[in-house]
Amino acid sequence: MTTLKIPEQKVILCGEYGVGKSSLFRRFTSNIYTTATDRQSTLGLDHYSKRYHVAGKDLKLQLWDTGGMERVASITSSYYKFADAAILVFSLDSPESFNMVSQHLLDIVSYAENAKIYLCGNKSDLKSLIQVTDSDMAAFCEQCQTLVAATFKSSCKTGEGVDEMFSYIAMQLVDSNRSKFELEKLTENNGIKITHFEESDDLNKCSC
Amino acid sequence: MDEEYDAIVLGTGLKECIISGMLSVSGKKVLHMDRNKYYGGESASITPLEELFTKYEAPAPNESYGRGRDWNVDLIPKFLMANGQLVKLLIHTGVTRYLEFKSVEGSYVYKGGKISKVPVDEREALASDLMGMFEKRRFKNFLVFVQDYREDDPKTWKDVDPNNTNMAQVYEKFGLDKNTADFTGHALALHRDDEYLTKPCYDTIRRIKLYSDSLARYGKSPYLYPMYGLGELPQGFARLSAIYGGTYMLDKPIDEIIYDDNGKVVGVKSGGEMARCKQLYCDPTYVPDRVDKVSKVVRCVCLMDHPIPNTKDALSTQIIIPQKQVNRNSDIYISMVSYTHQVAAKGWFIAMVSTTVETNNPEAEIKPALDLLGPIKQKFMTVTDFYTPKEDGRDSQVFISKSYDATTHFETTCLDVLDVYRRGTGEDFDFSKVRHDLGDEEQ
Repeated sequence: MTTLKIPEQKVILCGEYGVGKSSLFRRFTSNIYTTATDRQSTLGLDHYSKRYHVAGKDLKLQLWDTGGMERVASITSSYYKFADAAILVFSLDSPESFNMVSQHLLDIVSYAENAKIYLCGNKSDLKSLIQVTDSDMAAFCEQCQTLVAATFKSSCKTGEGVDEMFSYIAMQLVDSNRSKFELEKLTENNGIKITHFEESDDLNKCSC
Repeated sequence: MDEEYDAIVLGTGLKECIISGMLSVSGKKVLHMDRNKYYGGESASITPLEELFTKYEAPAPNESYGRGRDWNVDLIPKFLMANGQLVKLLIHTGVTRYLEFKSVEGSYVYKGGKISKVPVDEREALASDLMGMFEKRRFKNFLVFVQDYREDDPKTWKDVDPNNTNMAQVYEKFGLDKNTADFTGHALALHRDDEYLTKPCYDTIRRIKLYSDSLARYGKSPYLYPMYGLGELPQGFARLSAIYGGTYMLDKPIDEIIYDDNGKVVGVKSGGEMARCKQLYCDPTYVPDRVDKVSKVVRCVCLMDHPIPNTKDALSTQIIIPQKQVNRNSDIYISMVSYTHQVAAKGWFIAMVSTTVETNNPEAEIKPALDLLGPIKQKFMTVTDFYTPKEDGRDSQVFISKSYDATTHFETTCLDVLDVYRRGTGEDFDFSKVRHDLGDEEQ
């Protein structure tokens, strides 16, 4: 049996604790928003795949959340491995979270050197409280030259800008994916994913 | 961290990370700390390469080694049995989704100064240069017997009662000579010494079945190795723990473990803060006064710019040197991985030699193994103590794992983890507690 496998791209969320990474994740998975009071930070969120159809091609974005490990700066380097794209999230009302973006950028560059990097200012609904301006963001991108592929502003509360961001990323990845896919075919450097075995051939065979 | 936890776990080695994951999954509130600023403790993969050279106080690597961060060098060499306990744990906990593996290309055994491929099925046995013609037939009969053997079906026993027959008697029954018994016991059943010969045969038969069932999974050898090195394994379980609410803190000096008047643990002091806990789980290095030094393990990391000679240029291999072949009491193991696993720069190979120390000169003990490797560019040797806990932890509520032994796979590692979990919680780990759908739903 042969099925046409839809290419899947790993996208990771990076940024300070509390900037809304998990809210972006929830918007991505089920288009819902939960307020701070009725949720327990990032409990139980791992990753989620969603299908996109862009430029005549199918593509799955597999979005990963940090699991709350950034709270005490203890994200595993594994988190970054195999990432095709990384979204650097900061909160528009928090210059501190914006200043820390460069630190997270460094981690991405060291552990996921092939990832496309996007910058996302979240909480755009907090209009009067916004302290990080468009020109701040532009200046940052200029500083890191071609590292940042695009910038976005989003509000997980209203949903504004979220879909647009993921669709845009999907579109960019479709393009780059084509060449990557061909390269993999050439090098045959693919690893094995271990999946479920049939339980019947578990220990039973020899232990009872 | 000024809070009360159900359990504090010290050290982020593989064993502690699996335990932490299991506890979090079971609904326990877990704080997991490490004195190092990286994950993995003794089971870490060191990156970049400069870090490894610094660790062993060697002058920095020159440019021939390529980019330092293309290297991830394990401190403890092991492979996963494709059908073994760790793979089952990875699948049941869903941690497998964080990892990718490669099948190890070849498995060899040392005999009379040279190495031969380990024969695992009838066809390979007939083609092997390890045995003479008549011996091959006898070995084939033995393999068929093992393959058909069912512990629950006496009809398959062929008069070999699994509990009352020892392995030496089984070899005798099939007329296998010393050499064949040697590679069967050491290269297929993966026994480290010859004590198994006088023990009931069911354990050895199980082990041979594990070997051949593992081999059936992915082909060339029964072993798997994770891309980017073994250090990815503890990190995967750490993420599992975090996703179920575990808190992680790296780079935390552990100043003191606090006990009450009855000697029961109440908390851990670190950097002027105190975290309280009902239980403590840790590796032996965090509680030197509560463990016994049992033996020593010697390990030697060898960086090479070529594969091991006479292995058909395999990019990953295991070689077992059975103890008798070199007049020892325990086997010497070689495992080799390479750039194809993203653990070394292009064109580089990492071989690791390990064994249990038997003399005052461990370097001389591993010489027969080093001689098989060909020219070595750089080698780092360490001798580490093997510790076991003095007590089961019932009174102190401190549950200590054993050090990592010299075996080349994770079977004993997993048994220790399950044992620590059982001692700590009073029950076996219930795999059904793990939500399999975690993040796997698709639109």
